[in-house]
Amino acid sequence: MLKVTLRGLMAHKVRLVATAVSVLLGVAFMSGTQVLTSSIGASFDKTFADVYAQIDVVVRSTNKVETPFGAERTRISGDIVPTIDAVPDVEAAEGQVVGQIKVLDKAGKPLVTAQGPPNFGLNWLTSPQLNGWNLIDGVAPSGEGDIVLDAKSASDGGFAVGDRVDVSVTSGVREFRLSGIAKFGKLETWGGVQAALFTTTTLQGMLGEPGTFDWISVAGTDGTSQDQLRNAVSKVLPSGTEAITGKEFTEESQDAFQKLIAIFNTFLLVFALIALFVGSFIIYNTFSIIVAQRTRELALLRAIGAGRGQVLRSVIVEAFVVGLVASIIGVGAGIALAIGLNALMQQIGFSGPDTPLVIPPVAVLVSILVGTGITVVSAVFPARRAATVPPIAAMRDVAVDRTGTSRLRLSIGLLLVLFGAFLLWLGLFGGIDASLQAIGGGAFFVFIGLTIVGPVAAGPLASVLGWPVQRLGVNGRLARENAMRNPRRTSTTASALMIGIGLVGFIAVTAQSVKASTVEAIDQSIRGQYVVSTEGFGPTALPQSIVPELDADPAVRAAAGIGGTFAKVDGSDKLLLATDPTAFADVVSVTDVAGSFIGLGRGQIAASKKLADDKGLEIGREISATFLQGGSTTLVLSSIYDTELPLPGSGWIVSVDQFNASIPPDYQTFNQAYVLLRDDSSAGIAAAKPGLEAIVAKYPGAKLQDLAEFKKAQTDQANQFLVIVYVLLALALVIAIVGVVNTLLLSVYERTRELGLLRAVGMTRRQVRSSIRLESVIISLMGTLVGLIIGLVFGWALVKALADEGITAFGIPWSQLVVIVVIAVLAGVGAALYPARRAARLDVLAAIASE
Amino acid sequence: MTTISTPPGPPTAAPSAAAARTEAVTKIYGEGETQVTALDNVDVTFERGRFTAIMGPSGSGKSTLMHCVAGLDSITSGRIWIGDVELGTLNDRQLTRLRRDAVGFVFQAFNLVPTLTAGENITLPMDLAGRTPDREWVDTVITTVGLSDRLSHRPSELSGGQQQRVAVARALASRPEIIFADEPTGNLDSRSGTEVLTFMRRAVDEFGQTIVMVTHDPKAASYADRIVLLADGRIVDEMASPTVDSIIDRMKRLGD
Repeated sequence: MLKVTLRGLMAHKVRLVATAVSVLLGVAFMSGTQVLTSSIGASFDKTFADVYAQIDVVVRSTNKVETPFGAERTRISGDIVPTIDAVPDVEAAEGQVVGQIKVLDKAGKPLVTAQGPPNFGLNWLTSPQLNGWNLIDGVAPSGEGDIVLDAKSASDGGFAVGDRVDVSVTSGVREFRLSGIAKFGKLETWGGVQAALFTTTTLQGMLGEPGTFDWISVAGTDGTSQDQLRNAVSKVLPSGTEAITGKEFTEESQDAFQKLIAIFNTFLLVFALIALFVGSFIIYNTFSIIVAQRTRELALLRAIGAGRGQVLRSVIVEAFVVGLVASIIGVGAGIALAIGLNALMQQIGFSGPDTPLVIPPVAVLVSILVGTGITVVSAVFPARRAATVPPIAAMRDVAVDRTGTSRLRLSIGLLLVLFGAFLLWLGLFGGIDASLQAIGGGAFFVFIGLTIVGPVAAGPLASVLGWPVQRLGVNGRLARENAMRNPRRTSTTASALMIGIGLVGFIAVTAQSVKASTVEAIDQSIRGQYVVSTEGFGPTALPQSIVPELDADPAVRAAAGIGGTFAKVDGSDKLLLATDPTAFADVVSVTDVAGSFIGLGRGQIAASKKLADDKGLEIGREISATFLQGGSTTLVLSSIYDTELPLPGSGWIVSVDQFNASIPPDYQTFNQAYVLLRDDSSAGIAAAKPGLEAIVAKYPGAKLQDLAEFKKAQTDQANQFLVIVYVLLALALVIAIVGVVNTLLLSVYERTRELGLLRAVGMTRRQVRSSIRLESVIISLMGTLVGLIIGLVFGWALVKALADEGITAFGIPWSQLVVIVVIAVLAGVGAALYPARRAARLDVLAAIASE
Repeated sequence: MTTISTPPGPPTAAPSAAAARTEAVTKIYGEGETQVTALDNVDVTFERGRFTAIMGPSGSGKSTLMHCVAGLDSITSGRIWIGDVELGTLNDRQLTRLRRDAVGFVFQAFNLVPTLTAGENITLPMDLAGRTPDREWVDTVITTVGLSDRLSHRPSELSGGQQQRVAVARALASRPEIIFADEPTGNLDSRSGTEVLTFMRRAVDEFGQTIVMVTHDPKAASYADRIVLLADGRIVDEMASPTVDSIIDRMKRLGD
């Protein structure tokens, strides 16, 4: 039986091309993303190890705040350095200052964009055991006005030793003279991040914290292990500080980065799985068709004594072989893809230094298993059908049951749809923990349920969609009938498209709703006419001094800024915002739900209505808070507020006074500032612009926008994300289109005799081609329209669920949807090109005579 | 013609004289108004070591009778035995095994698996059973049907007559209790047809094989030892030692 199976496979291997391609693409994507992220991860692992290689022990504050990018710690006093130095086995101990700065290019713009990692300012260490930098030109910084740039910054900015270099920090823009250019070991940057070096006192002064360091680096004598050294150093440390080994320190950074990569990896894997899911439809369809075409052969085998189990296993084995081969090739393609993507990313400037290719064996194995598994699982039902071919079918052309409209099918399908809808409801509105999984599972079951119900609906749907096409003559009628007559095949093909388009529609509707809600919120809540924003955060955002400057402009009635920091509030690490409440309430609509927002002051905290509802908060409650500065403190909840403005963060807001008392000086910034003009007529708005621009120009990286521009910037951001998602979904769509081509080809092959008859009786080649094209368009439209409806429903549900988060508007991007439908029709026409040519080129005589 | 020694009997040797028989077999298709009675209370016995032909006009039920006796189709009522085994008592797997081990088939067309060679097609039932064929016997059969130089060819490379001979060889190779042939010469020209029929006759005469053949062709039927005539789902007559002329005469009178 194995021989029959394998021979059969080789004989119709062309029919299996579409199956192989679908599996290949899905597996390639899956393995490619894993190889890419592993490689990036490994590269950064190495980078961190290189950067911290010389450090044996790190002494730092125990006071920390968790952010998504790792922990931020309070700076510690340099007083303990001599004490540490005195410990035997310590060869060198020196404090390290790390601050975020903006080195400006010769045009006054920040050298490093805010998209990637920040621009760091470091102090030049004097101990050779600890200083990893080596000068390639000039000398180390020795005075207040000296700066050393890494090789990349120097070349990007076109700086030579002796040039003036301006640096922007929270405390202002300062002028320096380039005393030298350096490399870190062999690297052009500080492990992929651009840095500038200053003398210790200079940098401390710039950051506003003289005498303090981010940590103390310690190098031990030869022969002392890191653990030994750490133990020895710990003994002399004051409370509030800790010592860890260089190894642990490195691992912390590596882990934090790996966590970020993992999120990115999961995001991409979801799309890979979607592609494979769509591919499973192609596989199911192909095997169904192959089984149907081999009915006589299967019946013969059964007649001469092959058991049902043998026949079933034969189809499964075929699926297994195809799946395995395609998966293995897919992994190869995935690796090639990873290499290509990596090269692309290095062009854009992301990713660290030479990223060696890391091929995680587990990921490769899993990809192959998943690819093969999906192929086998998708072929199970066709295999079962093969096993039930009655031996008698060998003797006559027994019509295989094609109706697929059984009541059982309808009930199972509807049940699955209902179950899926229930899971979706649970995930969206049920407030359970595993909400993402519930949503994913719910969507999955709804799609499967719809696919099962599909054949029942496919007939009538094709009939309706094909109705206008009928008018086009015989080819139209034929197209419509062909789409109707094998509902299972038509619906499975359309289902693959339905899933892809459904997801596209869902994303489009959700994004449109988000955009509409954001714009609505801005319209409803911002009273001001201008917004000043920056792309940085924390030390690289707008210095607070911009607000009084704006306020002082004669055209301005009121100005307020809002900034943020990470802090441990009420037990969990959150993004906390800060503003001057009185000024803020002037430029943005804020309503008091309880207490007084305007009265917010030192020692107090405000919570948003949603936050208060979620946690059951009441005015007067004591909230514990731990900031970067000043350790733990208790704040009293004095306001519960509500605003339409889509602010990021958790909902906690403190006054600027409290904010500035709780964070280091270089973190005292605003992310956005709003300006309310005295004259809000359009003439007044235009008149105020030059004055405001002059102020904003003094702050590198800051941008002035009127409300229209501001709204557009928000929607542009959403659009960027949308494009990325569409590109990722494109793979699934390509596979779905391959499915359409596949179905058409196989159905042409199946109808060889019929087509031959039509041609013999007088149908022209053009009419044949047109008929196939129309059939393809009907199927494409079917999948697209049903998919869009599903997408709309899903999108509506998600928007409803996110109402609390501020997504209050439901937007349908009509123009985008129309474009999608048009593209679907074009795709249908495109998919039919090759099958139509094949059909038209049939040799009439051979076709009629064929068995 | 070379004389070949008689091989031992079929593997599932049964003591009864009938290779297959039916008792009150009825088969009805459809329901209500569109009901069709294909077989009406048929009692027939096929003797061991004999060549029996089943004849009848179109719609007489001859093919249906053969399919039912061969275990390929189900019956509405009645009983069927192949050897000592009653088909009604078997489940699908047992029935399949019976077909594999005790029954041989030759169809009118599409007899062979297109992706296997002639040689592989011949040993297919035994391969399915996982049994090693008796090489000596298989070679004998192959030589008898005259296909020794064609074994590595695919069906598409063989003529119609050669394909049918391969099918006959396959049927013989596993030495079944009974071989059913459904219009085996229907698609062949007269010379190939004669060849196939001659081999079938030899199989009965020299190897003691039991063959039941459905045919509408009087010339083919003349090779049989006995003819069973069907009309409207019932057995209407039998003929022993038929000749072409006597068959044609009898067929003419069927309409009366």
